[in-house]
Amino acid sequence: MSIVDHHAIDLSPRISEAGVADYVALLKPRVMSLVVFTALVGLVIAPGHFHPVLAITSILCIAVGGGAAGALNMWYEHDIDALMSRTVNRPIPRGRVAPGEALAFGLTLSFFSVMTLGILVNWLAGALLAFTIFFYAVVYTMWLKRWTAQNIVIGGAAGALPPVVAWAAATGSLSPEPILLFLIIFLWTPPHFWALALFRTDDYARANIPMLPNVAGPDATRLQILLYTIVLVAVAIAPWPLGYFSAVYGVTSVILGAGMMWYAIRVYRDRTGSAALRATRGLFKFSILYLFALFAVLLCEVMVSAVARMIWS
Amino acid sequence: MSAGVVMESKKPQQGIVLTPEQKKRQRERSIAIALALGVLVLLFFAVTLVKGPAVLHRPI
Repeated sequence: MSIVDHHAIDLSPRISEAGVADYVALLKPRVMSLVVFTALVGLVIAPGHFHPVLAITSILCIAVGGGAAGALNMWYEHDIDALMSRTVNRPIPRGRVAPGEALAFGLTLSFFSVMTLGILVNWLAGALLAFTIFFYAVVYTMWLKRWTAQNIVIGGAAGALPPVVAWAAATGSLSPEPILLFLIIFLWTPPHFWALALFRTDDYARANIPMLPNVAGPDATRLQILLYTIVLVAVAIAPWPLGYFSAVYGVTSVILGAGMMWYAIRVYRDRTGSAALRATRGLFKFSILYLFALFAVLLCEVMVSAVARMIWS
Repeated sequence: MSAGVVMESKKPQQGIVLTPEQKKRQRERSIAIALALGVLVLLFFAVTLVKGPAVLHRPI
């Protein structure tokens, strides 16, 4: 008599029905668009001439590397993704892509993006891209996220690195400007994600993820949001008086910073009912606009001055 | 045609049989991989043209 019930084990091979769209979804296209945009700014503000073909290659590699990190994140987190309403429709919880397929996809893209950037552009940029993928997939996803309420504070470094990688691709070195861009995104991440976590508390509780509102409570999170926003606004303005970025950037940063402060104060003040929900949703949405606008100003400045040079010469 | 050949053609197909949907998705994935590899080849070719002989100079 056999102990194992062979009928209970499905030995038939799994035939994938995943389409191209499912694999594109594994790359987290919305996150990737932010990665591409911030990297583009890092590339454009870098000094010296950078050939357009190499610039396109760099952006493509950074985009694919960022997408690969997203695929590795979805592979590791498919168990908790199935528990949260925000992530339940991702390709693995929906059964469109098997976890092993996502892992293979993520590793393959990681390898090709890093090697292509290293070989075709330079190895400093390649190494930084490899570190970014490692930090997001291993340090943040596998270690910090399920372990500490400071997960997105430290893990935010991964999302802040793309402009640094792009600067390194363009110049082959590092200097204060990309570090300032890194700091802006790094300090922007906690208020942005904690605002989201405040109105997704149930989701994170179901998945047993120690986000700050679930661990320290909503009031402590509101205070942390306010404190981080004060530091963020100060750091985002600093490049202007320090002489790294222009007055146009400085004035924009002051105006948008005032908006961020206003939303953060509302989140701190309005703690109950629909007013609290409106405040947190408002901060979450405005924080996206804030980061986008700051970087867009830097991009526009370079483009306008390039056009002006063409007209005058 | 011999009776043996007729018998052979009526035998049920062996192995994994893909549904039309699975075949369509597999074809889509194959095309996507081919396009990605094509882009990679073009990228290496374009950068080789841009860099010229300097493409061989790669300080680490």
